[in-house]
Amino acid sequence: MKDLFYVLYYPCDQIRDFAYDYLEGKLGLMTGLRFRQHLKGCPECQDYIRLYEMAADPKQFANENPIPPEFIDHTLKFLQEKGIVGEE
Amino acid sequence: MRGEEGSDPFAEVNAPEFLARLVKGGAESQKAFGQLVRVTHDRFLAFVRRSLSSSDECQEVVQEMYLAVHKGLSKFEGKSKLTTWMYSLAHYKICDKLAEKDRAHQELTESNEAVLITGDYSDSFDPVTPWDASADHVLARSSVESLIVEAVKALPPLAREIYQLRDVDGLSGEDAAAVLEMPPVNVRVQLHRARKFIVRYVQEKMKDKSVQRGASRS
Repeated sequence: MKDLFYVLYYPCDQIRDFAYDYLEGKLGLMTGLRFRQHLKGCPECQDYIRLYEMAADPKQFANENPIPPEFIDHTLKFLQEKGIVGEE
Repeated sequence: MRGEEGSDPFAEVNAPEFLARLVKGGAESQKAFGQLVRVTHDRFLAFVRRSLSSSDECQEVVQEMYLAVHKGLSKFEGKSKLTTWMYSLAHYKICDKLAEKDRAHQELTESNEAVLITGDYSDSFDPVTPWDASADHVLARSSVESLIVEAVKALPPLAREIYQLRDVDGLSGEDAAAVLEMPPVNVRVQLHRARKFIVRYVQEKMKDKSVQRGASRS
């Protein structure tokens, strides 16, 4: 009976291991159905997948400490002195 | 959901005609190199600063990377994107800097023993300058976002680099594997582990916060 349960419903650990393939859109048809079925009834896994999606989203870093403009100026000046970049 | 390949933020400098301008020589190459720096600089500096804490070191590493790009351009065969090759160079420069710091740390440990005996601090190392973060900026981030950024800093170095290349800078699995010279399947496994680590880190920190809030209410 337990085997049948695991065939029909994946346990939480396995659902979380599918997170990568889910984000890549690479879950097979049946696996995807079971995955979504599990999520519907499991708020913990819903939270987990939501956080996993956030972790994989580069938007988290869009507001990371901005780089002050003088840094690129320093680099350009350094490369100008080496004759690699022309004077503006 | 996201696909394996994202759009290339560096498409302008990865075009074959841009590479031709870079290797042409003379004023045209100087102009193209300036353009390359303007398009890529901040992205590479951000990449480097997640591995190194001092802004001076980050600047130095990025400058060295551009020098290496200039030096190696004539040998660059264009088998990968120009920026993928630049990520490889940045990766090597970061490794060099970390190895140098490791050696310096060992020397520091040895010299500390001498300092303890002589009491002479004149040759002590300057403390690492922390990266400046404005208070407004930190406040503007939502707590989960800032916890994710915090978690990334807590990742082991290799996992952090893989995470940055794939999830922050948007390289494909194949390009990230080429940068780090490892099989794509290892990149995939390490990336999944890194994300799992980040999720666990955020969950733990959020649990701690809610426990603290509960304790302060009672």
